[in-house]
Amino acid sequence: MTAMETMKDARRFVSFVGKEFNHILRDTRTLMVLLVMPVVMIVLFGFALSTEIKDVKVAVYDPSKDAATARLIAQIDASDYFTVTDMLDGEDGALDAFRSNSADIVLVFEDNFYHRAVHDGDGRMQVIVDGSNTNIGSMAVFYVSSIVSSFQKELARETLMDQAGNAGEGASGTSQVNISTSMRMLYNPQMKSAFNFVPGVMGMILMLVCAMMTSVSIVREKERGTMEVLLVSPVKPFSVILAKAIPYFVISAFILMTIICLSVFLIKVPVSGSLMWIVLVSLLFILVSLSIGILISTLVSQQEVAILISGMVLMLPTMLLSGMLFPVESMPRILQWISYCVPAKWYIDSIKVMMIQGLGIKYCLDCVLVLFGFLTVITGLSVFKFKDRL
Amino acid sequence: MYSIRAENLTKSYGGNEALRGVSFEVSPGEIFGIIGPDGAGKTSIFRILATLVVPDGGSASVLGLDVVRDYHEIRRRVGYMPGRFSLYQDLSVEENIRFFATLFGTTLEENYGMVKDIYSYLEPFRKRKAGALSGGMKQKLALSCALIHKPEVLFLDEPTTGVDPVSRKEFWTMLQRLKDQGLSILVSTPYMDEATLCDRIALIRKGVFLDTDSPSEIISKFDLPLLAVSGPHMASLLRDIRQIPQVFSCFAFGDTHHVVMRPSQDSIDAQINFLNTSLHAKGHNDLSIRPIRPNVEDCYMYLDSMEDRL
Amino acid sequence: MISGENTRKRIMELLGREDDHFLKEGDVIRTEGLTKCFGSFTAVDHISFTVRQGEIFGFLGANGAGKTTAMKMLCGLSRPTSGRAVVAGYDLHYNRDVKHLKKVIGYMSQKFSLYEDLKVWENIRLFGGIYGMKDDVIAEKTEDLLRRLDLTAQRNRMVRDLPLGWKQRLAFSVAIFHEPRIVFLDEPTGGVDPATRRGFWEMIYDAAERGITVFVTTHYMDEAEYCNRVSIMVDGKIEALDSPAALKCKYSAPSMDEVFRLLAGKAKREE
Repeated sequence: MTAMETMKDARRFVSFVGKEFNHILRDTRTLMVLLVMPVVMIVLFGFALSTEIKDVKVAVYDPSKDAATARLIAQIDASDYFTVTDMLDGEDGALDAFRSNSADIVLVFEDNFYHRAVHDGDGRMQVIVDGSNTNIGSMAVFYVSSIVSSFQKELARETLMDQAGNAGEGASGTSQVNISTSMRMLYNPQMKSAFNFVPGVMGMILMLVCAMMTSVSIVREKERGTMEVLLVSPVKPFSVILAKAIPYFVISAFILMTIICLSVFLIKVPVSGSLMWIVLVSLLFILVSLSIGILISTLVSQQEVAILISGMVLMLPTMLLSGMLFPVESMPRILQWISYCVPAKWYIDSIKVMMIQGLGIKYCLDCVLVLFGFLTVITGLSVFKFKDRL
Repeated sequence: MYSIRAENLTKSYGGNEALRGVSFEVSPGEIFGIIGPDGAGKTSIFRILATLVVPDGGSASVLGLDVVRDYHEIRRRVGYMPGRFSLYQDLSVEENIRFFATLFGTTLEENYGMVKDIYSYLEPFRKRKAGALSGGMKQKLALSCALIHKPEVLFLDEPTTGVDPVSRKEFWTMLQRLKDQGLSILVSTPYMDEATLCDRIALIRKGVFLDTDSPSEIISKFDLPLLAVSGPHMASLLRDIRQIPQVFSCFAFGDTHHVVMRPSQDSIDAQINFLNTSLHAKGHNDLSIRPIRPNVEDCYMYLDSMEDRL
Repeated sequence: MISGENTRKRIMELLGREDDHFLKEGDVIRTEGLTKCFGSFTAVDHISFTVRQGEIFGFLGANGAGKTTAMKMLCGLSRPTSGRAVVAGYDLHYNRDVKHLKKVIGYMSQKFSLYEDLKVWENIRLFGGIYGMKDDVIAEKTEDLLRRLDLTAQRNRMVRDLPLGWKQRLAFSVAIFHEPRIVFLDEPTGGVDPATRRGFWEMIYDAAERGITVFVTTHYMDEAEYCNRVSIMVDGKIEALDSPAALKCKYSAPSMDEVFRLLAGKAKREE
């Protein structure tokens, strides 16, 4: 191909992309829906999820029953966050307390707590959380720990003063007082965060914008008869389709940024992983969704069918099987297998790992590889299926 | 060399035979019209020649290039305006034409001479969205878009359907001018009165050509006596004429009824007299009966009814 | 057919107001200064005309001359901006009138006429039902209709499988199934072959003979000749209204085609 031809091709492609942007920008209503929907979803979910806790019911198992435990229990009870509702007779009571809904968390002290804390420097206590209530879980543990740590300082100061009183001036030393708090989750051992919906919403919106909008806009040209004219022109048919995908790629990237900003600044998701990797994996998922949209458009010729396929066949499994609403682990085996075929599941999983659990990319490499696999296979299929005739 | 040559084309969709063996040639600088109703197979012919559909049987070439094998080259050199072609409704007139120019690797400025005649009508509305244009204007814009890359052959599938008579007339004047510039034009229409504006026509019905020839030749082949009858009670006149056994067919044509008489040894005057007396007997007075030359529509209906009787 | 006097009585009963004899005996449509504006654009500009009972009235005009807008107003689909129009005794100014009007008119267009995915008889029953006809009347008239159209054997076929010509004949029959006083036909014959087109006009003649007024738009100028009277709209105004013969005489043109070109060729506006 001559340089001249390449120039023409490039110009052709640019004008194509420009035309697509015109279509999208002039359909202001659809564009508004696309841009506003993710904001509304994130904000709604964010508010529905109340991060403020009050009067969390606390049951206590205290075999030690000494001065320290009594004071700590009193302090916890005195805070606005907690109400001590029950003193248990044994550790096993925790399960019953959760089941009867008489407690949200259970505190378990070890025997001889005061002595071990002050003298051995190793007082142990455990916070057992009803993991099914993800809202309360993590926050409650956080507040308990802060009460315990200030109590520990208090205790240390007192011990120091006692020691000073006993040994006279000059006797300095660091306190050996230490209380270690361990936590145990019941019912939700992996400690799924309440912020799990954020990756879910990301997966759903990106899927919707890329797959549905791309397929509809290609199929619209088939319906209007303009595709006929495009085919009967020297333009390379696949570049017609590529040009359609570019504007939606841009819009999706914009939506992605909106969602991430809203999550971080408005509802304060503690994003602990690498933002760069989160964005890169999201872009990969956007490509997968675009290729799905293109594949749909090569298979159908009516807008309604395109909407139905991308809506019902893609969105529904994305919502149900991706773990956004129900944990996949507790689904029947057959549904779990089906969920493996849903690209969004892999995307949401990897974002959860990086965004919520704060782990590095290497902990979700498998998901990323699967997404790459999807991208290759689907793109290959749509190239294969694409006809440059009617 | 012919600009377009089709030989025994067949095409079925499902069990539905759209084309049942169609052959014709179009010479350079010729307007060839395919005339017939919706569903007769016109669009299938266009799609095959525009390389959008592969024929089931037969062969076709455009500019000497095979429609199946050399379709890339054909697409570069033809202009195509599909039936019900709607352009991009949300783009302006100018954006539409510029888009199609770039599509074919050219610019509006470069080929302005090609479309000047037609595009000049549109220039006052250059900023208007194509969706807000009237039927006649849309059609002119679509034609400009099909011409912008200086095609050698033009395929126009029902360009005038649903367009008012004035715009239709203008459109055909434009086609004449394009033809004078050496373009070969294949055009289809359901309006029989447009047939005489073509150099040669094919009358199509249910996937076969009834006849292919110049309009005057087709008319001269019509060898039955044709009479135009009018009178005060046109509706009952029509029914009564059809009762007469010597009448082959009778249809309303504007303000007269066209009566085709069965072949007979009698002179035309004798037949007129006969018709007049028969109708007088049925109570029709003040009739005007005169022999007329058939038009393409008479021919189509005659061939159509012959086909049915076979 | 309802005579003029009976209509007046019924209107008094239905609408509870005195008829002011705007509509003269023997007329079914009368408009006076009927106007429709969209923003600053006047689509229909003070048109005044009458249509007589049982007449075939051709409503011609170039694309964008305002035909469709005017027809929508007469069918009660669009509210006039100003002017007065009385159709079949109902004044388009009153909402209650418009509601009753819709029961006594029929409508058929090339674009929408029948449900393609319903069977022939289902379409007939559906439209009979829409116009509130009784089941036994529908059943009886359906048989009659199918026989007249020679469709008895096809009654269980999907409409989409019928040839276009049959579809149009069926659509017209369905549009007049409830014996409307006026039937509005919007380019009813587009795309059909010449013989079928004429067959269709013969059905129109039959309907007119039974007293149904036919209000029709078309782009085929030979069809204009079949009308009793035609009006030609140019730029929202009625430029000419008379019988085809009188129009041809007035403009000394050999055909309606020529008359139309003379008048519509003067159009200034581009919609």
